[in-house]
Amino acid sequence: MNDLSFRRGDAAVIALILAAAISVAAAFALAAVSHGGGAVAEVRRDGELIATLPLSEDARLVVEGGYTNVVVVASGAVCIESSDCPGGDCVRSGRISRPGRALVCLPNRVEVRVVSETAAPYVDAVAS
Amino acid sequence: MRRAGILAAALALALLTACAAVPASASGPQRYEATWLDVFDTVTTVVGYADSEAGFTQQADALHETLREYHELYDIYNEYDGVNNLKTVNDRAGEAPVEVDARIIDLLVFARELCEATGGKTNAAMGAVTSLWHDARAAAENDANLEGTPPAADEIAGALGHISFDAVVIDEAASTVFLTDAAQSLDVGAVAKGYALERAAESLSGSWLVSVGGNVRAVGEKPDGSAWAVGVQDPDGGDYAAVVEVRDLSVVTSGDYQRYFVSDGVRYHHIIDPETGYPSGQYRSVTIVCRDSGVADALSTALFDMAREDGEALCKAYDAEAMWILSDGSREYTDGFSAMLRD
Repeated sequence: MNDLSFRRGDAAVIALILAAAISVAAAFALAAVSHGGGAVAEVRRDGELIATLPLSEDARLVVEGGYTNVVVVASGAVCIESSDCPGGDCVRSGRISRPGRALVCLPNRVEVRVVSETAAPYVDAVAS
Repeated sequence: MRRAGILAAALALALLTACAAVPASASGPQRYEATWLDVFDTVTTVVGYADSEAGFTQQADALHETLREYHELYDIYNEYDGVNNLKTVNDRAGEAPVEVDARIIDLLVFARELCEATGGKTNAAMGAVTSLWHDARAAAENDANLEGTPPAADEIAGALGHISFDAVVIDEAASTVFLTDAAQSLDVGAVAKGYALERAAESLSGSWLVSVGGNVRAVGEKPDGSAWAVGVQDPDGGDYAAVVEVRDLSVVTSGDYQRYFVSDGVRYHHIIDPETGYPSGQYRSVTIVCRDSGVADALSTALFDMAREDGEALCKAYDAEAMWILSDGSREYTDGFSAMLRD
């Protein structure tokens, strides 16, 4: 008689293996959510990334360059709330939240782009 | 065997659970993006697929450099050391021919052809009129509500006498341009971005999507064989007015929301009808899809100031498709445009 029948201890081993697998899966899922599952606003000045703001957290960022842009994240969307640049096109561009969209202040060389690592872009470009 | 079987099954299940959560591994060309703020006074975005970031950067940098050269040549506002550009040509109007780079000659020959083809609606020789409106917009720029004052009617009427393309003498052999009328000036705003983008895109190979200030040029398709999705801006700032799926095509929109100022509750946008000297108001925007980005640029401006039937005839001549958004928000499409709409 080989001792190959199912025993109490085996159940514990199986439970352990499954628990380990589930925690690995959970870790990956959590990383995805905190990283890109929720969209973030990437703020660049002169092409250089200076801040990454999750749209899920209200925030306020003052970007100093030749001019001053006030970037605000509220209720899941980002906008340039105020700016002392000539024209103020960036402020009039409104609030954005969809991955792929961007706000730009040309005079201050600042770009605020919504990106999401997991969501495929809804569109690849916008004709405007 | 029963025990071993159960253990094996548990292990397999465990592996599957873990694997399912891991993002698809990187294989094949990856998507890269870049943004430039220093060409054509607008935002340029580039999406490209490459096997490595270095591969993307190599092509993107070359594109950027080409666009920068075109930007300097076609600039009517700024001078650059050692470059005769369109500002030089304008500054010497009525005085003398200016020797220019072949890329300026090519642009102006193209602009002349499109001016004729559009019955003068897209006219790069109407700087005398557009500069009046440009100055009016600039004066209104620092007002929070963009309140401004339109140019005086007699100024506009006077300027309309100096917009004939006949006064633009292009000598291809000598590579010179001469504005024979001192009161005349070039404004290539309706053609230059698209034309430059078309030329610059010629060097791209593979899967690319370039937008120079909303002038979009698709090169190829995505590596997985799917089309590029290009949204058309909603004139009222909402979600996209439409999404078209394109391969190897250009998408360009002209709209009344792009640049404007307000006076006495009236919105004066930047697309000036060469017949009246004023912005026209029958459409909110016109979008053109066709192969050549320069043609798309020129046609979007022309159709903005044309009756729908005339615009449609022009589209047929250039194998282009169009979407019109009317003042009431309703949309009209050529059949070919409808066929490109994403479901």
